[in-house]
Amino acid sequence: MILAQRLALDLTALAFVLLGVATAIEWYRHRGRAEAMLALSLISLGIVAALGRLQDLTGRSTAAGTVSLVAFLASGYFVLMFRDAFLPLSRRTRLAAAALLAVSCVIGVADATVLASAGQDVSTVLALELVFAWAIFTGEPIVRFWLASRDLHGVQKARMRALSFGFAVLIGVVVVNVLGGTALQSPAAIIATQLIALAVVPLIYVSFAPPSLLRRIWRMGEEAELRSAIQDLLIFSPTQQVLAEKAVGWAQRLLGADGAFIVDAEGAVMAASGIDDQRVDEIMSERAGELGGPLGRGPDGAAVIVAPLHLSEGSGALGVAAGRFTPMFGSDEVNQLQGYASAVTAGLERARVTERLAAIERNKTQFLNLASHELRGPLTVVRGYVSMLESGVLGELNDRGHKAVPVISAKVLEMNALIEQMIEAARLEDGRLMLRPAEADLCSLVSVAVDTARQVVDDKHQILFECRYRPVLVQVDAERIQTILGNLISNAIKYSPGGGAVSCEVATRGGVARVFVKDPGVGIAKEDLPILFTRFGRISTPQTDPLPGTGLGLYLARQIARLHGGEITVDSAPGRGSTFTLHLPESTPSSPVTVPAIEPLGRPQEGESNAQGTSC
Amino acid sequence: MSDRSRSEKESIHVLLIEDDAAIAEMYRVQLEYDGYRVTVATTGENGFANLATARPDIVLLDLLLPDRSGLEIMAEIKEKFRNHPPVVILSNYGEPTMIDKGFSLGALEYLVKSRVTPAVVSQSIPGWIQAGRGQAEPDG
Repeated sequence: MILAQRLALDLTALAFVLLGVATAIEWYRHRGRAEAMLALSLISLGIVAALGRLQDLTGRSTAAGTVSLVAFLASGYFVLMFRDAFLPLSRRTRLAAAALLAVSCVIGVADATVLASAGQDVSTVLALELVFAWAIFTGEPIVRFWLASRDLHGVQKARMRALSFGFAVLIGVVVVNVLGGTALQSPAAIIATQLIALAVVPLIYVSFAPPSLLRRIWRMGEEAELRSAIQDLLIFSPTQQVLAEKAVGWAQRLLGADGAFIVDAEGAVMAASGIDDQRVDEIMSERAGELGGPLGRGPDGAAVIVAPLHLSEGSGALGVAAGRFTPMFGSDEVNQLQGYASAVTAGLERARVTERLAAIERNKTQFLNLASHELRGPLTVVRGYVSMLESGVLGELNDRGHKAVPVISAKVLEMNALIEQMIEAARLEDGRLMLRPAEADLCSLVSVAVDTARQVVDDKHQILFECRYRPVLVQVDAERIQTILGNLISNAIKYSPGGGAVSCEVATRGGVARVFVKDPGVGIAKEDLPILFTRFGRISTPQTDPLPGTGLGLYLARQIARLHGGEITVDSAPGRGSTFTLHLPESTPSSPVTVPAIEPLGRPQEGESNAQGTSC
Repeated sequence: MSDRSRSEKESIHVLLIEDDAAIAEMYRVQLEYDGYRVTVATTGENGFANLATARPDIVLLDLLLPDRSGLEIMAEIKEKFRNHPPVVILSNYGEPTMIDKGFSLGALEYLVKSRVTPAVVSQSIPGWIQAGRGQAEPDG
C-alpha cells in the first residue's frame, strides 16, 4: 500500500473520530436531545472509521467486524433520530425504523459470524441490505433538511444545507465503496474516495457548530438586504407597533434565529415572530434574576440573546431565541443584536414621538372645534338678548344701562369674531374648509371692508382708500376675502396705538392683484417675522402684549389666501410701521365665472419689499 | 290670513321649531314684541303636528333636534304638503355642504344663528312670506 493511500485512510479515520469527539463535547455543553443524537451518530461513524483502520493494521477480527457493523447501522439510525428531535417523526415511522435497525443488526452480525464463509455473492447481497438500511436512515433526513431549508433565511438555511449535503456525500461514498468492487481497489480511487469522505467532515461540523467567521459570511446576504430595508423600517414605520413587528422579522432573519421578540418597558410583548408570547414571558422571567450578559439559555435549553432597548418610558428588550437545530450564538451575534437593538430603539423613539405629536395635533384640532362650537351656542343667546336690550324690546333702560349695553355689545361681537376664527381654523385643519369662488371686483371688496372699519374706528385713526383702475377682477370667496381684509385693517389700527392714517390701495401688475394695507404703527422686528403667520403665533413685546388677540387672524388670512392661489406678505421694521400685502391671481374678464381661474402664485419671501404702489 | 282687520304683522303666525329653550324663548319675546303670533315646538314630531293643525304662515327651523334632523323634516314637509309655508333654516352650522342641502330641500333662506340677531330675523319675516308666495305653485 502506497504511503499517500495510507495517509488518506488514516486522515479520514482520524477526522471522523475527531468529528465524533467534537459533537460529544457539543452535547456535553448543551445537553439537548438533538445534540445527543447527532453526537451518537457521529461517534458511531468515528468508531467505524477507527475500527476500519485498526483492522487494516492488525488484521481482521470477527468481534471488531461485528462492532463496526453495528456502529455503522447505529450512525445512520441516529441521524434519523436527530431529525426526529426537531422535525418529529410519526410513532409508526419510529417503530419501523427501530425494527429495520434490529433486523439489519441481526443480518449484519450473522454476515460477519455465521455466514462469513458463505461466499462472495451472499456477502455482497447482505452488505447491500445493510447499505440500503443505512441509506434509508440517512437519506430521509437529507431530503427533509433540504426541503426545510427552503423556508429559512441566511445562517439557518446554510447550516441546514451543509448538514444535508454532508450526509448526501457520505451516502454516495459508502454506496460507491460497496458497489464499486475491484474497480475501486486501485490506490488512486481509494485516495479519491477518502478525500471526498474527508471533505464531508468539515461540512457536517460547520452545520452544528459553525465558526463565527462562517456565520458572518452566511449573514452577509441578510445584512445587505437589511441595510436597504432599514430606512423603511426605522424612518417610515408609521407606528411603534408596525416598527416592532417589522423589526422582529429582521432580527430573526439577521441572526438565523428561530424566534425573535420585542417587549416594552412594562414587560408586555409588543411583537413576536416564530415564538409565542408565553415562551417570551418564560424567557424574560427566567432572565429577570440573571446578572450575566445578554447571552443565555431559555427554559427549553435553546440559546437566547436579549439586548436592552433603552426607551424613554423605561427599558424594553429585543430578544432572539435559537431553535433546537441552531443552538449556536456567540459574541458576534451578541454584538450584532446589540447594534441592531440601538437602531430599533432610535426607531421606536422616533415612532413614539411621531405618534404623540399626531395625537396632540388631533386633540388640539378637536378641542378647537369642540370649544368653539360649544362657545358659539351660549354666545348666540347673549348676543341676541343684548341686541334686544339695545333696541328696547326688553323695556326701557336707565342712563347707566344705556352706557353699559353698547360696551357689552361690542365685547360680545369681539368674542363672536374670535370664536368664528377658531371654527375657521379647525375647519382648515380638518380639511373641511371649502371655498365658494365667484368673480368679484377686488376694489369693491376693499371698499366694503374700509366702510365697515370706518364705522367703528376712533378719532385718532383715519382709513384711506385708493383704487386707480376699476374693476380688478378676481375669482374669490367674497365673504372670506372680506374677513381677511377686515382683519388686516383692524390689525393696522390695533398696532398703531399712536393713531394716524391707515392706507389701503389696490393695484395690479403682471396678472396679480394686490391689496396693500399700510400702517404707521409699532412695526415688527425681523426675528419676529417667522412666527407672525403661525397658528397662535403672537409676537410678544411690551407694546403689543396688552392688545387682545388669538393669534389666529394672520394665520387664517395667509392660509385662506393660499387656498385662493394667493399669498400674504409683510414688509415691516420696528418703529416704521408695517405694510401687509394680499396677493391674488387676477382673473381676465373673459374667463367664465363658473371656472375658478386660480393659478398658484410663487410664494414671495417675508419681508420682501413691496415698495410699488404703497404711496396712498 | 283669517283676520284682515288686525295689523298685517299680528295676523302672521310663526312656527318656531327649536329645541334650545333659551333660544326659543328669546325669539318668542322678540317676535311677539313685533306683533307676530308664535308657536314654539321643541321636537321635530311636535313641529310636524303643529304644521298640520296650526297652519303657520312661516316656519323657522333648527337643524339639530332631539328626535330627528331638520333636514329630514324639510324633506317630509316637501313630500306631504303641496302648499307648505316658506321654511327658513336657523342653524348653528355654517358649513357650505349643510347650506347647500338646506337650499336643495327647498329652504327659502339659511341663517347661522350666531351671525344674526332676533331683530334681523323678525324684520325679514314679511319679506320671506312675500317671497314664499311668489315661489309657491298655484293651488290645484
